[in-house]
Amino acid sequence: MNTMDTNTRGFRQSQAFLHTWSGLLLGWILFLVFVAGTIAFWREGMNRWMRPELARVEQPMQVLAGAQRFLQSKAPDAKSWFITMPSARTPGAQLFWQPQVKKGEPRRRGGRRDNQALIGADGAPAHARETRGGEFFYRFHFDLHYMPVIWARWLVGFATMMMLVAILSGLVTHKKIFRDFFTLRRSKGQRSWLDGHNATAVLALPFHLMITYTGLVTLMAMLMPWAVVANYSDEARIFDALFPQAQAVERTGRAAPLADLRIVVQDAQRRFGAPAGFIEVSDPGDAAARITVSQSSASMLSSRTPRLTYDGVSGRLVWRSPAPGGAAVTAGAMIGLHAGRFADDGLRWIYFLCGVAGSAMVASGLVLWTVKRREKLPDPARPYFGFRVVERLNVAVIAGFPLGIACLLWANRLLPAGMRGRAEWEVHALFIAWAAAGLVALACRPKAAWPALFGITGALLAAIPVYNVAATERGLPAWLAAGDWMLAAIDLALAAFGLFAGTIAVRVARFRPELRKSRARRVVPAPATPILEPAE
Amino acid sequence: MTILVLLLCILGFALFGLASEGHHQRWLGRFPTARRKKRMRAAGWGALVGALPLAWAVAGGIVGPILWTGATMLGAAIVFLFLNLVPGRRQDPRRGHR
Repeated sequence: MNTMDTNTRGFRQSQAFLHTWSGLLLGWILFLVFVAGTIAFWREGMNRWMRPELARVEQPMQVLAGAQRFLQSKAPDAKSWFITMPSARTPGAQLFWQPQVKKGEPRRRGGRRDNQALIGADGAPAHARETRGGEFFYRFHFDLHYMPVIWARWLVGFATMMMLVAILSGLVTHKKIFRDFFTLRRSKGQRSWLDGHNATAVLALPFHLMITYTGLVTLMAMLMPWAVVANYSDEARIFDALFPQAQAVERTGRAAPLADLRIVVQDAQRRFGAPAGFIEVSDPGDAAARITVSQSSASMLSSRTPRLTYDGVSGRLVWRSPAPGGAAVTAGAMIGLHAGRFADDGLRWIYFLCGVAGSAMVASGLVLWTVKRREKLPDPARPYFGFRVVERLNVAVIAGFPLGIACLLWANRLLPAGMRGRAEWEVHALFIAWAAAGLVALACRPKAAWPALFGITGALLAAIPVYNVAATERGLPAWLAAGDWMLAAIDLALAAFGLFAGTIAVRVARFRPELRKSRARRVVPAPATPILEPAE
Repeated sequence: MTILVLLLCILGFALFGLASEGHHQRWLGRFPTARRKKRMRAAGWGALVGALPLAWAVAGGIVGPILWTGATMLGAAIVFLFLNLVPGRRQDPRRGHR
């Protein structure tokens, strides 16, 4: 079906060609993006899981009051404060503040690290381990790592476009996916791989199309800037149109006490009819102070949530964001649909499982490239160079990246709390482990490297919940007893994925390809080297 | 109520899946007649379409259709895994053991 024969230039052949090569060349990046994005659906959960010493927030308003107390003593004359509204889903109230820009002093960037804090469930500054938590997976999903953000976004944006190409051409190429909707031929070599690839693609097809298209929408201003350029001569005006703000007020220099944030937020929540998500205070302690409260993005589909601005001294409402225009609502809804922040637990699980299916679809597609070509190799013992590159890159990425993630999670548990640059070293641990896995993949035969890497990943993942119970105060039994399903589910999921990786390792290690009699008529000898991929 | 949406989707896809010759034979012991297949597929569509207004009622006009789409995907996946991984009632005489 999928021949590279350029003599047969039918529509399906051209689509098969497009599907094969758009999928292969960008497939490795897509796998990383899919896996990181899938984990990022539990971004809030990971933010909490990676700070296990923190208690769950039970009284958000008490934490908010603690945040205000802390900021008033720490940064009383800051230019602005930013507070994420604490809830049972957050590790606490995450704060950061911008110091006043002094005259004659250049504006510094990147000073954010010294100007941030976390307020715990008891309202006092929390002394938690330094970690990027779930934010790492969220940023890596589109910013990658160790490279300028703009390059990464172009790379991910291009890969996403190819993903859209691959999905649409795949619908044509795998023409039987709807007729064979319920078919899974097991232990049948290439047929099984094809069925698995098709099943993960077609079962979650609405998700794949949605996530790819809306993913492009999140990057649209970068990928296709012309609509903005043609309609807005001034960059500030498009910003105002998209993110309208209350009229800015000049700092007066007269001191005036800031209103109680709890009362302001309570009023905002009453007006929204929904929880608050984010609070920004400009010129705190000044007579011109302003408090802006945004509605939580968990409460509505659109990612562009309404905002209210209050006078910071009297606590009087002075501005409300206007109803957004049609285009802004469309973009907001698409981005909201992509990020899934609106989704409750049940729907979030569906998002997550769809992401798992997408990762499996990309991985099985990459493996399928080698499975299909292996049978046609003139000499299976000595495959051509390109084949070996793809085969080993598959091991390095599909088995190596999950191993890196397992190491990041272990680094989160094991690195000493007082270590300098601890949060960065957690991330370095991922890439060091991944690089080591990559070397193993390049140096060893895939037949040995697949089970070795998957085996280690499985053992590492499955051991984390055990470690949590044995070596920390919390863990699965404690979380279950406290009804903290968010963290309990993460431990259970890690155990399940550990088991799954272990199963793959065992199956690949045990796999012995059978000499297929039906192929015996071929001049090509039956594969002398084992087929290196797992049977299903 | 959300569970009911999912159950309807599972029912719909179970009918679709069992209407295919291989699965019908494996699970119900005989090949389906053309009329029977047609009826099962019609009933499957009925269950799926019926789940939509229910999802709408449960989660509203915005999240409802999203919930319905998600439930169809999850329902299809559950049926797919069940039909293929759980040993059937009867062995398929043509394909030998599984």
